[in-house]
Amino acid sequence: MTVTTTDGTTIIGESILISGSLNGDEDLTVRGRVEGTLTLTKTLVVEPTGVVKAEVQVKNCVIAGAIVGNVTATESVEITKEGRMVGDIAAPRVIIVDGASFRGRIDMGEVNVDAGRGNVRAVQAPARPSLRPALSRPAARPAEAKKADEKTVVASAPRPPAPPAPVAMGAVKRKVIVKRK
Amino acid sequence: MAGIEKVPSSRSGAHTVIGSSIVIDGEISGDEDLVIQGTVKGRISLRESLFVEGSGVIEADIETANVDVSGQVTGNIAATDKVELKADCKVVGDIRAPRILIADGAVFKGNVDMDVKEVKGK
Repeated sequence: MTVTTTDGTTIIGESILISGSLNGDEDLTVRGRVEGTLTLTKTLVVEPTGVVKAEVQVKNCVIAGAIVGNVTATESVEITKEGRMVGDIAAPRVIIVDGASFRGRIDMGEVNVDAGRGNVRAVQAPARPSLRPALSRPAARPAEAKKADEKTVVASAPRPPAPPAPVAMGAVKRKVIVKRK
Repeated sequence: MAGIEKVPSSRSGAHTVIGSSIVIDGEISGDEDLVIQGTVKGRISLRESLFVEGSGVIEADIETANVDVSGQVTGNIAATDKVELKADCKVVGDIRAPRILIADGAVFKGNVDMDVKEVKGK
């Protein structure tokens, strides 16, 4: 939230309303309102107090405030956790952070289907072998799942070797309680 | 840079700056100081001060409290307090304000009206 008045940065203050078309070749920070069309060759930053109701064409767009309208970016669009947007996004990179609110379509450009399939396979292939090393987990899982097993099948309770003795003790106590009930 | 040297300290607190490469076609309104280094066409309506810097070009009617022109303005200016035309400015249009200052070197064409009552009445 630095206030810079140096060249190359344009700031629209909180109480300012611009309606019409806005074009430029520099970064723009919006803390107020802009309505109409907004075209930049650099980065648009909509700060939390900023409201943009416009057709937006920019290189990069960071939304921490509100945008109503379509955004077309040649590089990226990022909606931060405080950001709200209604409209369509067209950009090769779109980042939506947890907490952000968005309604609309997203178009990240041409999706190479073949390349996509290849990627899916590539991802799945290592995923399967990873299940084997994960076999070590089942050893741990029964210990974690003991309670459930013991409740459902009492007879199975003695089976686990029960390396963590305290858990087994607790389990036994619970069993007793269950029997009393 | 020369542009920065020209900026009085009073402007450093301004929250809104329209940079030199920005072109706005439409209406600007607000309650705070506005510094224009770029181009604005249409209408400007403020309750505070408008600073048109050397690189600023305005083709608009202006309604503000103060106007400080170092750049070019084409359009009528109505200020509730003061209009100041700096040395290198070019202004074409009518000016209406209780206080109007025109510096040596300023280029101005238009009518001047310092009738305070009329300005305040409106």
